Amino acid sequence: MKLGAAGRYGLLTLAGVVSLAPLLWMMISSFKPGGAIISSPFSFDPGQLTLTNFRSMLDTIPIGTGFRNTAIVVVIKGALTMIFCPMAGFAFAKYAFPGKRLLFATVLTTLMLPTLVLLIPLLLEMSQLGWVSTFQALILPGAIDAFGVFWMRQVIMAIPDELLDAARVDGAGELRIFASIVVPVIRPGLAALGVLTFINIYNDFVWPVVAVNDEQHQTLQVMLSALAQNIRSGQLGADWTSVWGQLLAASTVAAIPVLIVFVVLQRHLIKGVMAGSLKG
Amino acid sequence: MATLTEAATTRRSARRVRRPRVRAAPYLFVAPFILVFAAFSAYPIFFALQLSFTNWHGAGALEIIGFANYRYLLTSPDFWQSMATSGVLWLLVVPAQVLLALTIAVALRKARFRGLFSAALIAPFVTPLVAMAQVWIILFDQDFGAVNHGLSSIGLPTIGWLTTSAGAKVTVALLVLWRTTGYAVILLMAGLSTIPADVYEAARIDGAGAWQQFWSITVPLVTRTLSFVVVIGTLTVFQLFAEPYVVTGGGPFNATRTAGLYLYKHITNSDLGLGAANSMLLVVMVLALSLASIRLLRSREDS
Repeated sequence: MKLGAAGRYGLLTLAGVVSLAPLLWMMISSFKPGGAIISSPFSFDPGQLTLTNFRSMLDTIPIGTGFRNTAIVVVIKGALTMIFCPMAGFAFAKYAFPGKRLLFATVLTTLMLPTLVLLIPLLLEMSQLGWVSTFQALILPGAIDAFGVFWMRQVIMAIPDELLDAARVDGAGELRIFASIVVPVIRPGLAALGVLTFINIYNDFVWPVVAVNDEQHQTLQVMLSALAQNIRSGQLGADWTSVWGQLLAASTVAAIPVLIVFVVLQRHLIKGVMAGSLKG
Repeated sequence: MATLTEAATTRRSARRVRRPRVRAAPYLFVAPFILVFAAFSAYPIFFALQLSFTNWHGAGALEIIGFANYRYLLTSPDFWQSMATSGVLWLLVVPAQVLLALTIAVALRKARFRGLFSAALIAPFVTPLVAMAQVWIILFDQDFGAVNHGLSSIGLPTIGWLTTSAGAKVTVALLVLWRTTGYAVILLMAGLSTIPADVYEAARIDGAGAWQQFWSITVPLVTRTLSFVVVIGTLTVFQLFAEPYVVTGGGPFNATRTAGLYLYKHITNSDLGLGAANSMLLVVMVLALSLASIRLLRSREDS
């Protein structure tokens, strides 16, 4: 494939621009007066920028509650995932035990299991437990991640057995070995898993939309989608100039935290994605 | 003598200390995963299987009705329409994605500022889907949207992106492509980075042109990664829910009612037995598709 330097950079720049343009458009437009979003979608006039859309959005949805709920779910569920995945990965990488093959096959099957399939039975289970619209429902069912286990296993397999045996000879227990040898060594891989996990949980939509039906426990993403639906069904009036601005403001607010995390930690994320394919 | 006994004792005690712990340890380490899996994946799956043979609507005792749900679904035009919609979206997304991602990954391989380009490409994957779905609704609005605004300003006819059957499918497909192609590029980059440079060197000395190098070295050597990309793309498309749910609500006239949205309809209608049967059909479908894509690409690799 003859691309040449000009062609190569032209292509990459085009791809980069296409990737970022909708994001930039969203952010810039959220500061524009509603009418301008419609009449001149591609214009940019710094003198025109306003916070009106953000103010009216605050009147329409309890975005503070959304942020609080999302934070609770992200922190607890993320922490559980980050503890459980390396633990299971360690067992699969460094021990021989009866049932190992069967259990690992279970992990691999979970990877291919469509989330949607669990929707109905899981919802019924939640209602049997009395957990509908609770934080337990949002947190516990997703507190494991098959990809995370699979990947942690790959990372931990690279640790030499001698290192672990040396610690055993010195009298360290297995839990001690895990906590003070394995975890420090795999810290880079764990960081990448952390970024991926944060992004997945923060952006999660399907399960929260099914499991929660009160505003008290709604996550940010569900709130945003509910706002959009109210707008579409005409509940907030049919004045597009004002509602589009609100919608873009809410979208920007929902996107900013995850984009900041991404910009700061993107190296780890890209490494995490790459790890998914490197050693299959 | 003393040292010998000592050594033997140490060895024995080491064994005694080690053995029982090591035996219990792996189970303790996998226990959290297994417990969560059993409670929130395995149990629900078996429950769904059981439900799929009932006409349960969410209350009362379970009444077994045999294969009636499956028979109903497999003869229902709605079910097949949802499958066909997912199939059309697959055709719109996966081939384009493989082509685009491979081209971009090859260009990226020798480029400078690789980190910067990769970050830009994967940014859409990171942004909350629900937020971007709103942006799509606004950009692709027929009367006021920026896309039609742009089309008409260069003298092209406007398109009913969200109001026509074909337009809505394309709009949803574009969102999926935009969000996931960067992810595929990064996966392919990882695959490409495992090809040693001297393979290309040797081909060049043998007089292979750039196209020839691409087809006879790059493509065969990344088939494993390519198959991974296809499988992930297939799983994504056949589980598509949030994109059509937020952007089109499945409309217009069910044109974007994917397999996932059709499944969701059973929940909102309280047809839980039927929904469970639909779930089971979807599992079979997704597993079959994944295995088929792996098989297909593997046989190409062998030949």
